Amino acid sequence: MSDRRIGVYICHCGGNISDYVNVETVRQAVANEPGVVVAKTAMFSCSDATQQEMIQDIREQNLDGLVVASCSPKLHLPTFREVARRAGLNPYRYTQVNIREQCSWTHTNDHAGATEKAVRLVRAGIARTNLTDPLQPIVIDTVPAVLVVGAGIAGLRAAVGLADLGLSVYLVEKSPAPGGRVGDFGAMYPHGKNGRQLIDRLVGEVRKRELVTLFTNAEMVAKSGTIGSFNVKIRVGGKAPGEINVDVGAIVVATGFDNYQPAADEYGYGMDGVITLPEFKKLLDDNAGELEYNSRQVKNIVYIYCVGSRQQDGENPNKYCSRYCCNAAVHASLQVSEKSPRAHQFHLYRDVRTYGKYELMYNEAREKGAVFCAFGGDEPPEVVSGPDGKLKVTVRDLLTYGEELAIPADLVVLVTGMVPAANSWLTELLKLPLGQDRFFNEIHPKLRPVETMVDGVFICGTCQGPKNSAESVASALAAVSQGASILKKGYVELEPLIAAVDPQACDLCGDCLETCPYSAIEQDTAAIRINSAQCKGCGGCAPVCPKGAINLKGYTDGQVKSMIDALLKEI
Amino acid sequence: MSYDILVVGSGIGGMESAIKLGDMGYKVLVVEKDSSVGGKMILLSKVFPTLDCASCISTPKMAATVNHPNIDVMTYSEVEQVQRVQNGQFKVRVRRKPTFINQSACTGCRQCEEVCNVAVPDQFNFDLVARRAAYIPFPQAVPKKAVIEKRGSSPCSFTCPAGIKAHGYVALARSGKFDEAFNLVLDSTPLVGSLGRACYAPCEGQCTRGGLEGPVEIRRLKSYIAERHYNAHPQPVTLTTAEPKGRQVAVVGSGPAGLTCAFQLARQGYGVKIFEAASRPGGMLGLAIPAYRLPREVLDRDIQNVTALGVKIATNTRVNNIDSLQEQGFDAVFLATGTPGNARLGVAGENLNGVIGALEFLRRVNLGEDVNLQGQKVVVIGGGNVAMDAARVAARLGAAQVALHYRRSREDMPAHGWEVEAAGVEGVEFHYFSAPVKFNGQDGQLNTVELIRLEPGAPDAGGRPKPVPVQGSEHQVAADLVITAVGLVPQAAGLADGLKLNPDGTVLVNTDTLQTAVPHVFAGGDVVTGPSMIVNAVAQGKKAAFYIDRYLRGEQLAGVNYDDRLPVVDQKEVMGRQQSYSNLPAVGTKNQNGTNMTGQTSAGSVTEPALTEAEARYSAGRCLDCGVCSECSQCITTCPANAVDMAMRERVEEVEAAAVIMSTGFKLFPAELKTQYGYGTLKNVITGMHMDRLLAPTRPYNSVLRPGDGKVPDNIAFVLCTGSRDCTVDNQLCSRVCCMYSVKHNQLIMGALPLADVTVYYMDIRAFSKGYDEFYQQAEAMGANFVRGRIAGIDENQDGNLVLQYEDIANGGQTVTAEHDLVVLSVGMLPNTDAYGIFSGESLQTDDFSFVKEMDEDIDPGRTSIDGVFVAGTASGARDIPDSILHAGAAAAQAAAYVERARVKR
Repeated sequence: MSDRRIGVYICHCGGNISDYVNVETVRQAVANEPGVVVAKTAMFSCSDATQQEMIQDIREQNLDGLVVASCSPKLHLPTFREVARRAGLNPYRYTQVNIREQCSWTHTNDHAGATEKAVRLVRAGIARTNLTDPLQPIVIDTVPAVLVVGAGIAGLRAAVGLADLGLSVYLVEKSPAPGGRVGDFGAMYPHGKNGRQLIDRLVGEVRKRELVTLFTNAEMVAKSGTIGSFNVKIRVGGKAPGEINVDVGAIVVATGFDNYQPAADEYGYGMDGVITLPEFKKLLDDNAGELEYNSRQVKNIVYIYCVGSRQQDGENPNKYCSRYCCNAAVHASLQVSEKSPRAHQFHLYRDVRTYGKYELMYNEAREKGAVFCAFGGDEPPEVVSGPDGKLKVTVRDLLTYGEELAIPADLVVLVTGMVPAANSWLTELLKLPLGQDRFFNEIHPKLRPVETMVDGVFICGTCQGPKNSAESVASALAAVSQGASILKKGYVELEPLIAAVDPQACDLCGDCLETCPYSAIEQDTAAIRINSAQCKGCGGCAPVCPKGAINLKGYTDGQVKSMIDALLKEI
Repeated sequence: MSYDILVVGSGIGGMESAIKLGDMGYKVLVVEKDSSVGGKMILLSKVFPTLDCASCISTPKMAATVNHPNIDVMTYSEVEQVQRVQNGQFKVRVRRKPTFINQSACTGCRQCEEVCNVAVPDQFNFDLVARRAAYIPFPQAVPKKAVIEKRGSSPCSFTCPAGIKAHGYVALARSGKFDEAFNLVLDSTPLVGSLGRACYAPCEGQCTRGGLEGPVEIRRLKSYIAERHYNAHPQPVTLTTAEPKGRQVAVVGSGPAGLTCAFQLARQGYGVKIFEAASRPGGMLGLAIPAYRLPREVLDRDIQNVTALGVKIATNTRVNNIDSLQEQGFDAVFLATGTPGNARLGVAGENLNGVIGALEFLRRVNLGEDVNLQGQKVVVIGGGNVAMDAARVAARLGAAQVALHYRRSREDMPAHGWEVEAAGVEGVEFHYFSAPVKFNGQDGQLNTVELIRLEPGAPDAGGRPKPVPVQGSEHQVAADLVITAVGLVPQAAGLADGLKLNPDGTVLVNTDTLQTAVPHVFAGGDVVTGPSMIVNAVAQGKKAAFYIDRYLRGEQLAGVNYDDRLPVVDQKEVMGRQQSYSNLPAVGTKNQNGTNMTGQTSAGSVTEPALTEAEARYSAGRCLDCGVCSECSQCITTCPANAVDMAMRERVEEVEAAAVIMSTGFKLFPAELKTQYGYGTLKNVITGMHMDRLLAPTRPYNSVLRPGDGKVPDNIAFVLCTGSRDCTVDNQLCSRVCCMYSVKHNQLIMGALPLADVTVYYMDIRAFSKGYDEFYQQAEAMGANFVRGRIAGIDENQDGNLVLQYEDIANGGQTVTAEHDLVVLSVGMLPNTDAYGIFSGESLQTDDFSFVKEMDEDIDPGRTSIDGVFVAGTASGARDIPDSILHAGAAAAQAAAYVERARVKR
């Protein structure tokens, strides 16, 4: 029998769990498990009230272990560890059991089975908790400096924001000059601000701040260390090439996007007069007076939306919406109305996504005479070149009940969206996870919107997904907040759930060295040692050791065996 | 207290800003107007596009906000004013609204909620169900503490001179808690039954329902409550009293003032003896009020409430000298001898046999003397309630004629209108502008009255026309009996050395404390106020007991807040929040079936009929809960933590902050403005927020059902852009979230109701952000039906189903109709302008749509027109949750940078 004093809480999660799992049955089935002295159910374990109740139980019942059976540890492991800490219980004596994602949500049609599975999982969690030891987090002093990768509008704004909070910034830009995509833009929606001027302003702000060091023609080429204390190697090209090593506490990735490049002949791309939205914007910026293309006056413009976005077919289609293009195309249309008031403009769209206040531009464009025709996703318009060499766009317009329209065009604008920037080297270097859309992925869009699975590496701007300039700036400042919230504290705490070598059992065979993907295992003549700052606790080394000399703290062989026994115990 | 940053509003944006700033090491104050942090997000079901539980995302942030070492949170508080002071800091005034529950003692057990007798629409369920006046907003509330919503005193309770919690006992009666209702009245006075019968019920005059179908029958309810209690308990239930204090109080006079005072003092442990000159106790209640209005057994049972506490009543004992009481061992005296004297007319012949004062007349009748008026002609002089009582009693005693003469008009008559009316029905003749000149008689016995007609003359001191005689209009009428009822006067002269009187003979007291010129003698009731109403006398008795207790305990009398009632609520505001007000006629006029449900003091009836229990509960159900909290006291007695504190009052706290973040969120578009969609009228037309509540884990019902009839819907329509992109409702903007939350609902409904059809009527599906279009595609793949077309109008079928009219764009553009059994209006966001006015000296600029204006959105998101003031989340424009969180993170960075710059400057 156990001499431990463990508290177990089974969560209803409103009805998310209890609609499918009989939580009272689970409670009864685990109440007499070894070591359990408190077994309760709770409507919302994560609610402040239940947290308070747990703290009270821990203190009054003198608990030395805590198990909450609720949702995924991805969500609430930190929550309940914090509960333990506040109650004076070592946070690593807490075990989270996931009976929501693994039971109620998975087995909605089998309530009895879901309940039985929950019983087994909770028993396993209790078994693990019986063998927990108090652990202390690994504390690392943070370097009050940040590496910002990419000096587009997001990177520049992030650099200024970080410096304003007293942090040193190394701003690395691979091009010869800062500015990114926005630096090439003229008037931008919705306020008509000039992109180049915005960049100039920000570069001016950067130059005013001694804390910011800007490297152009530069790339990050190597990274080591962990959150709070990275060492980064920057290779600088240009006139005085060389390599620089800097220590930083965090890395902000703001590497932007690439424009979607239509395939040859996609909507007639390649024909004279068929251009992409960025090409069209450049044309607008370059034309002071009435709009001309190849020295020809432009009277009829046809815009085809969602080119390269919201695709369902083909190999690796871009299923996502590129967010900025509807607004940008409508804004461009307004500029045309200014420059060439007599031009006819036809917008062939699927859904006009001028969200929020951008709707005003859409209204204005229609008031100024632009014609909007809706086409179905399965019936895209066609662009053909007539015998006279003139372009013609045919479309079935849903707004006029499927009428077949043939629109002569001087210019066809393919409203292209954003695609992830081609920088697989960076992805590999930083081991950044990608989303299904192949942009960098945050951990969670609401809980941790600028953090990545790599601790201390943040993302902002369009490298994360399509955004407009103002939205990129907002996300850059959100990354500033996130970075500063870690670095201004002066230290970070890392998980102590890492590998440990039993020197008595180890015979220095060195088999473990090759298995570590983080180069965290070091060997000298006397011993095998784990670099605690490097080890991620992946556990890859433990089963390789022929002597069983490596154990993963928090998941020792003893713990895992006892969990298996508990799982298999008769219900 | 000085903070780095003040965050106004604790929705998801406010919490994000606060936590980030707290993590950076700044001291943050969060001010939240509701009793829990969390804003609107915590009320949602799941959130797009990841379908996480809104709770799962919100609760860790809520807990982190309140538990953060660098964050202070003031809930149930509002920022009143933000003003820049000389050092560049902002001075912030925060109004801490009274919770009426000690927040540190409250354990969140919800027992107060369970016993609370007031139900109001639950704003946290968007009025789908009710919540109580004492409430915890939702199960995941942080902090999980109850508050009591109390908008002020209800007009009835506020008006009652005796401070009887009228709203409280009405609410208790509504819940069928009649004994509790009785005890609540008893807490103020032992005269529960007497007031139920004979109070003039000023409460009813103020009842908000009075402006509708007629006031709640508060008095008759009290009568019902008393009679029900007395039938069940012929003897008083033993009341708990305080430990005997060993001090003695003499009460002189056993009218309503004396009885109430004696009762209150006895409960507090004083030895009390009442001295009564008459042969029976009760004062005017027994002597002046006719038994048909106040049956003697009711009064006697009321008096037992007093004697059961050990109070002795010595009848037939006139106290001629109060000074002697001190010698008898009484430490204090309450003088409540009323107005036993009849004012004289000053007319010749007033001493004739056959001319009698009304009080004497009523006393004789009430004491059972044989007063036979069969066939007699009776003249009553006067127009007050006593005159009316005398006239009606005379009529009931068989008088052949009862003629009442009053010197002014009917409108001027001080008697209550209903009593005048009843007297008229009972045969009393009324003669206005008529006054006696002389009573004539023979051998000392009255036989005629000489009367004169009057006419309105020049205004008198009171502003009313003074009646002046019409010359030559003198005339004689025959009379067997004249009853004069032109006023009652006290007889307090010479009762004690040092007792001072007013010129009108009333006792001079300190009106705040009722203490007389003799320190240990207090006085109250009619002897102080002159003739008044029963409930005023009760009020004085209660108040006197309060001060006598303080006097005897040696505490200061001056400057004590005796009446701590909150200001009365504004009745317009009360009516404003009656969203679905039903027409409920008063009992006694017509009931819902149109039949008469017994009248109020119906004319000619012997006594007023009692309400039935059904009538009582129906009547109580008409209460509009003006003050919200009814002050029924149930929570006070129930709370195991003793946390309820009704004396709590609003207070204002001042703090300093270097920077401010406005995260005050948005308001939902009020769907009723889009009249052609019938929201508010058609029961099965709901809003998107309702659907979120129906789907949430903390949902109000067990399943998704339509509110009209509880049917589980199987064919649900969503109407996108309700109130957005719509000039007809003055909102051109797109609200950004409605497409996506509707798509989310589609997916959740298909999970909750697998057989239900879901149709979305839209113009454009704006699934523009990361993962959104994929989410939309997924809903379509799951079977949601997307129809391009804007709904023009919605009608209702008899079965509650709804018929939607629209132009079917995809199929030839005909105007077609579609039937659905539930319609969800996907309403959007409007600015919440409530807090814009807090800035003093500087003004917060807004954009063309009244959202907080961002001065340089391109480079400096979150920066407003006021230096040091930033905006986060939907306060500056419609945003979904991920965008709000990013924006709030940006606002935090901006505010932090501002604070750093300000530090450098200093």
